[in-house]
Amino acid sequence: MSSSKEINQPRLIKDFGAYHPINNMRDFIMDLLISFGFEVVDGPEIETEEFNFDMLNIKKSHPARQMHDTFYINKKSHVLRTHTSPVQIRGMLENKPPFAFISGGKVYRKDDDATHLPMFHQVEGIYVDKDVNFGNLKDLIFKIVHNLFGKDVKLRFRPSYFPFTEPSAEVDILSKDNKWLEILGCGIVNPIVLENCNIDSSNFNGLAFGLGVERIAMLKHGVKDIREFYKSNLDFLSQFK
Amino acid sequence: MKVSYKSLLRNFKSKPSIIEISNKLFQLGHEHELENSIFDIEITPNRGDCLSLQGLCRDLGVFFDIDHKKNIYQGNLDILNLDFKNDFIEGCPNISFLKIKIDEHISDYKGDLKNYFLDLPNKKNNFFTDISNYISFETGQPTHCYDASKMDGRLTLKLLEGSHQFDTLLGDKINLIDKNMVFLLDDNIINLAGVMGGQNTSCTKKTREVIVECAYFNPEKLIGTSIKYDIQSDAAYKFERGVDPKCHENVLRRFIKIVSEHADIKSLALFSEGKEIKNKIIDLDIEIINKIIGVKFKMDQYKNYFKKLGFSIENNSIHIPSHRSDINTLNDLAEEIARVVGYDNINLQELKIPRKKKLTNNQIEKKIKAFLVDNGFYEVINFPFTKNKSKIKLDNPLDSNKKYFRDQLKESLINNLLFNERRQKDSIKLFEVSEIYSSLEETKSEKVLGVIASGRVGKNYLDFSKKINKKYIKEIFSPLTEKEFYFEEIARDSLDTKLRDPIIYFEIKLKDLPSNIIEYNSVSDSPKDFIQYKQISDFPSSKRDLSFSIKDFSKLDQLQELIFSIKNELLKDVFIFDYYKDTKNNIIKIGFRFTLQSEKETITDIQVDNVMNNIIELALSLESVDIPGLKNEK
Repeated sequence: MSSSKEINQPRLIKDFGAYHPINNMRDFIMDLLISFGFEVVDGPEIETEEFNFDMLNIKKSHPARQMHDTFYINKKSHVLRTHTSPVQIRGMLENKPPFAFISGGKVYRKDDDATHLPMFHQVEGIYVDKDVNFGNLKDLIFKIVHNLFGKDVKLRFRPSYFPFTEPSAEVDILSKDNKWLEILGCGIVNPIVLENCNIDSSNFNGLAFGLGVERIAMLKHGVKDIREFYKSNLDFLSQFK
Repeated sequence: MKVSYKSLLRNFKSKPSIIEISNKLFQLGHEHELENSIFDIEITPNRGDCLSLQGLCRDLGVFFDIDHKKNIYQGNLDILNLDFKNDFIEGCPNISFLKIKIDEHISDYKGDLKNYFLDLPNKKNNFFTDISNYISFETGQPTHCYDASKMDGRLTLKLLEGSHQFDTLLGDKINLIDKNMVFLLDDNIINLAGVMGGQNTSCTKKTREVIVECAYFNPEKLIGTSIKYDIQSDAAYKFERGVDPKCHENVLRRFIKIVSEHADIKSLALFSEGKEIKNKIIDLDIEIINKIIGVKFKMDQYKNYFKKLGFSIENNSIHIPSHRSDINTLNDLAEEIARVVGYDNINLQELKIPRKKKLTNNQIEKKIKAFLVDNGFYEVINFPFTKNKSKIKLDNPLDSNKKYFRDQLKESLINNLLFNERRQKDSIKLFEVSEIYSSLEETKSEKVLGVIASGRVGKNYLDFSKKINKKYIKEIFSPLTEKEFYFEEIARDSLDTKLRDPIIYFEIKLKDLPSNIIEYNSVSDSPKDFIQYKQISDFPSSKRDLSFSIKDFSKLDQLQELIFSIKNELLKDVFIFDYYKDTKNNIIKIGFRFTLQSEKETITDIQVDNVMNNIIELALSLESVDIPGLKNEK
C-alpha cells in the first residue's frame, strides 16, 4: 500500500490487487531455483502418453495410467499431463548435458475430495551432469527446504518409489505440533529415462525433484482447505497482498 | 497392509519395541500409521513382495534377528490329473492346483491361523477360505479355493471377449465387457482370474474337498480390472503389484501343513505347469553404486549389506531372489544399500550447478501481472473444465456436464465475478493467465490473459461514486495500447444476477501484448513474507457509513489516524468514501465506510451499534470534529 496526500486532504490509499497465492508461491520457488542455476523450460498441459508416461519409465501396468487416475482426451489420443516431468523430457531431448532445468505449472489428476483436486500445481527440477549423486541431491533439498521453512526445520528422507528415479525419496519436515509432513519427492534419475532421452547413462547421471505448490502454500499460509485457493473469493485473495 | 506388532514379534528372535520397529519401517520406506499396536502400512507399488507378513519380516531382517522359516508339508505329493487348458499363457505363465480332501468339519482354529483372527479384525468364512486368506497374509501369494464337488468339467483359462454375466462369490452380479481373463468350467465362468472367484464353485462350511488354485498373473494383463468392475479384491491388489512366480509349491505345502494341523488329510495331489523361471543376475560394480549414492563403501561392506537383504553373491555377481521383481539395475541395488544405511545417514555433498546464462522466469507474464495488480486487479486461477463445446473433449470427465477443456477464459471469469457479487462485493477486478488450446495440432499451447471488472472503480473518495466502464478500463490500459485492445461489455440479460453495473471484459494472447509491457516498472511487489491466512466468514457482513464535519482543518489527520487505528474483531474494513472541503464555510466533510462481520454468526444490529458507538465516542472526543445530525452534536 502507498499513499499520496496534499495538505488538508485525506490520504488517498492506492488499492492494489494481489497475485494469486499459488502462482506467487510457484514463482517464489522457481526464483529460488533460478538463483541456484536452474533454467526454466515450458511445455504443454496437454501431452501424449509417450511423453507423460512411456519416456518416464511409467509402464502400461502402472496404476497412474488407468482411466480412474488420468484424464484422457479425444479418444485417448492425448492426456492432461499428470505431472510437469514431460516438460523436462522435452528439455532433455532438445539439449545436451550438463543442464539444469525447472518447470512449473498446472497438472491434472482424476481426483476431487477435501484433500485432492483435479488440478494442482507442481514445480519440478532436473540436473544432469557427470558425477551427480544422492549426497548432492540431499544438499539441494536441504537448501530448498531451509529457504522455504527456515534453517531450524528438521527433515526426514524416506525411501519411496517413482518410476523415473532410482533411488527415490520422499522428504518430510517436522511440524510445530511434532508431526512429520510430506513436502516433496526426489531421487536419482533412472538411467532408463536418460537413455530414453538419448543421454549416455554410463557417462551422465542426474538428480530430480518435485514439489506440490499447493502443499507448500497451505503450510506457509496456514490454509487448511485446499479448495479455498480455487473459489476466486475476494475475501480470500485480498489477504495475500 | 495391516499387520499387528504381535504377529511381527512372533517371527522375531529378539523383542524390539514397537517404536524401534516403526522407525525401521520408515527407514526402509514403509510409510505407516500406528493404531492399537497395528501398523497400517502403505507399501509402495514396486514392493509387492512386502504385502505379507513374511515380506515385511524379510525386509526388517536387515535390522533384527528374524526366524524366516515356517513349517511346511514335507511329504510326497501325487500328481493331480486335472482336465485343465491354459489358453492365455501370456496372462498366466505359471499355475498350480492342489486337490486336498478332509472328512470333518473344522471350526476351532489353532496356531498361526488362530492368531490371524485374534490379531486383526478379520472375519471368518469357512475353513478352506480362511486358510487361503491367511496364506495370502503370511506369504503374499493369493490362492483361490474351488469346492471340488462343484468342479466337474473341463477347466480352461482364457481371455474371454464380449459381454458376459458373472456372479461373484460375494453374490454380486457383474456384467463383464470387452476382454477379461477368466477361468471357465466347460462354458461357465467360474472365476474372474486374479480378482474374484464365482458363486457357483465357491466353498462353504460343508466343503470337504477343495481345489486350490495358485497362479502367477501378469500384472499388465490384470491391471484395472478390479476398479473397472468396482470389486474390492486383496488378490488383485497383490497380483497387480507382482507376486513371487516361484513360490507356488512352497505356498501350497504351507497350505497343506495348516490343514494338517486341524484335520486328517484323506487325499492330496498337485498339478503344476509353467515355464522355468531363472533368477536375475546383476554384475556387482561397486564403483557405480558408490557414485550413485555418493559414498565410498568397500566390497566387504556391500557383501555384508546384500547378504542381510537375502541376496546371494557369487563371483561379484548378485543373484536376485525371485520375489524381488523390482530389482533390475545397479540403481535398484544402490537404493537397497541406501535404504539399509538409511537415507538420513548419507552425508550431504555440496551441489554447484554451473551457470550457463542469465536466467529469467516468464518476464512478459510477470510484467503484465504486475501492471494489473498495481491497478487493483486480483489474480484468479480456474479449473479448465467446461460444459461449452470445444475441440478438446475429455474421455473420462469427473463431471459429465463439464466434459470439455475450455478454449477461452470468459466463462470462468464471469462466474468468478458473479460469485463475488453474491458475496456483496461492489468493486470487482479480476484477471487470469492460463494456457488454452484451440486444437490438439498445437503442441505448444498459447497463454492467454483474461480481464474482467465491474462495480465501483475503487474504495476511495475519488473513485467511490464512479462505476467501472469501458472508458475507465481503456484509461487503465492506455500506457500499453500501442494497438487497440478489444474491450467488450458483457450483457447481463443472460446472467443470473439482478445487478445492472456494466461488466467489462477482454482477452488477449500474451504474445499479442504490446512490446512496451517489458519496460513496465512495478509499483507494488509480490509479498516477501508469507502472510498467515485468516479463516473467511461465511456469514453476511454489515456496512455502516459515518460522515464527520471538521472545523479545524489540522484535525483531519488526527481523525484519520484514530479511525484507521481502531482494532475490533468485528471490524473488517474501513475506507474514506467521501471528502469535501467547503472553503466558503471553512469546513471539511469526510465520510468513512465501515464493514463489520462476525466469524461465528450473523452479526446483529446490537453488535454493530456497539462497535459504531465506540467509534463515534472516540471520534467526537477530538476537538472540532462533529457528526452532523447526531442528537448530542457538540
